[in-house]
Order: sequence, then structure tokens, then C-alpha cells
Amino acid sequence: MRTLATLAYWEGIILLGGFLGVVLWKLLTGGISLEQLLEGDAQDPNSADGYSTYVSGGRTQLLGATLFVAGYYLLRVIHNPKQFPTLPTELVGALAGSQALYLGGKARALLQGRVQQFFNRRMP
Amino acid sequence: MKNPEFVLSTVLAIVITFVIAIWVPGEGTVKVKLAICYAGLVLLFLFGFLILAGIASGKIDISQLLAESGGGASMSRFQLLIFTFVIGLSFFLIVVSTGKFPNPIPTEVLTLLGISATTYGVSKGIQATGGLAGKAGTTAGNGGQGNGGGRDGGQAGGH
Repeated sequence: MRTLATLAYWEGIILLGGFLGVVLWKLLTGGISLEQLLEGDAQDPNSADGYSTYVSGGRTQLLGATLFVAGYYLLRVIHNPKQFPTLPTELVGALAGSQALYLGGKARALLQGRVQQFFNRRMP
Repeated sequence: MKNPEFVLSTVLAIVITFVIAIWVPGEGTVKVKLAICYAGLVLLFLFGFLILAGIASGKIDISQLLAESGGGASMSRFQLLIFTFVIGLSFFLIVVSTGKFPNPIPTEVLTLLGISATTYGVSKGIQATGGLAGKAGTTAGNGGQGNGGGRDGGQAGGH
């Protein structure tokens, strides 16, 4: 049984470490593109394809919140790897709020024109 | 045969199961448990390793892993990737330290993953409703953007 546990341990390290390493490597070398990560699409009637890009504050704050919460969680686990750490409710709420803000901004940028068109058709 | 390496892995796992079940001394029930555990571990490792090797060698293309429908990288995919790795790594560290499966899994973990995955899902819904898939199709028809955004969009929009 001890051999089995050792085998599972090394298997976990090789596979998890390998996947993490490959994805990180491709992110760093540009194999997975992070281009326009902080730029959102918005409907633009003046553009040729009907859309234009803009620097999105929602995306920027979500990136910050994600990195902060993920880093905080990982540090807590490394500090005490005996159990899953408890996260403060405020932090979870802040993350949820940040995601909601991002989604709200995205919906506004992409759907506002459509909603207006819909109401204009209904109420000329 | 399209993927002989996967068939070979399965055969190897079955052979290991039989070797343990027949030649390893011990009680019957213990031998069955050991055989199943070893076969599962070997199968999981070989399948995982084959996928890992495919990604590393470029045979499996993950360049569009974070691509959004309209081209460029997707923030919702990026944050889901980060949280998946963080929770996976935490889970592994805790299992290795305690030697047992965490039971029950805390609600914080499920909440974090739930928030993250919900954002991804809603984001896809907004893109589909906003007609970004159409933009991707147009881009693909024009020869694509610098980073192949048009093709990405076609794929991402289909999920």
C-alpha cells in the first residue's frame, strides 16, 4: 500500500506540475495569446464589422481581483496544507461583485444597442 | 488505428491488473483492491502523460485556450483557468499532507469555482446574444486577424 501511495504522489506531481508548466510556458512564450486581454468589444455602427474595441475597466479590475484572491488562497494553503483554508465572506463577496461588474460592463457594451433597437421598433 | 498509444496504455493497465491478481501473494480481497488501484493509477498516468506530451509537442493545439469569439483573449476564460489551477494545486497539497481525501469539501471551494464558472457561462451567453460569433465569422472570411482571431471565434462561439 505504501508503494501505491508513493506512486500516486509522483503521478500527481508529474501530471499536475506538467500541465501547469506547459500552460505557463505557452503563456510566457506567446503560444497562448494574451493579446487584448484587457480590451472589450462594443457595438459600433460606424465600424465596418459593427464592433470596435475599447480598454475595459471591468476587465482590469477583474484581473486584479482574480490574482489577489487566487494568490491569497494559494498562500493560505501553502502556509497550512492540512486543511482547506476558510475565506472571509467579504472577500468572496468582493470577488462576486467584481465578476458581476465585469459581466455588467460587457452586457452593456454588447447589448445596449440591441435593446435600444428593440424598444425603437416597439415604440416608434 | 488512429490512436494506438491509448490502446497500448489500456492493454498495459489490464496486464498489470492480471499480474497483480495472479502472481502477487496475499489475501484475495486485498489483491483485487491492489490490482484495481494499480490499474487505475497506471491508466490515469498514461492517459494524462499522453495528453501532456501531445500538448508539449504541439500535436494537441491549445493556442486558442483563452481565445474569445471576437478575437483576442477572454478574461472569463483566463480567470477560470487560474482558479482551476489554484484549487487543483491546493487539493493536491492537502491530500499529500493529510494522506486522505478532504471530506466534506468546504463550501468556499465550491463557491469560488461556482462564481468563476458562472461568470464564464454568462459571458458566453452575452457574446452569443450580442452577435460576436457573427463578427468572428466575418473576420474568418476576410482572412482572419493577426493572431487568428477569426478561427478562434468560430470555435469559441460553438461552445
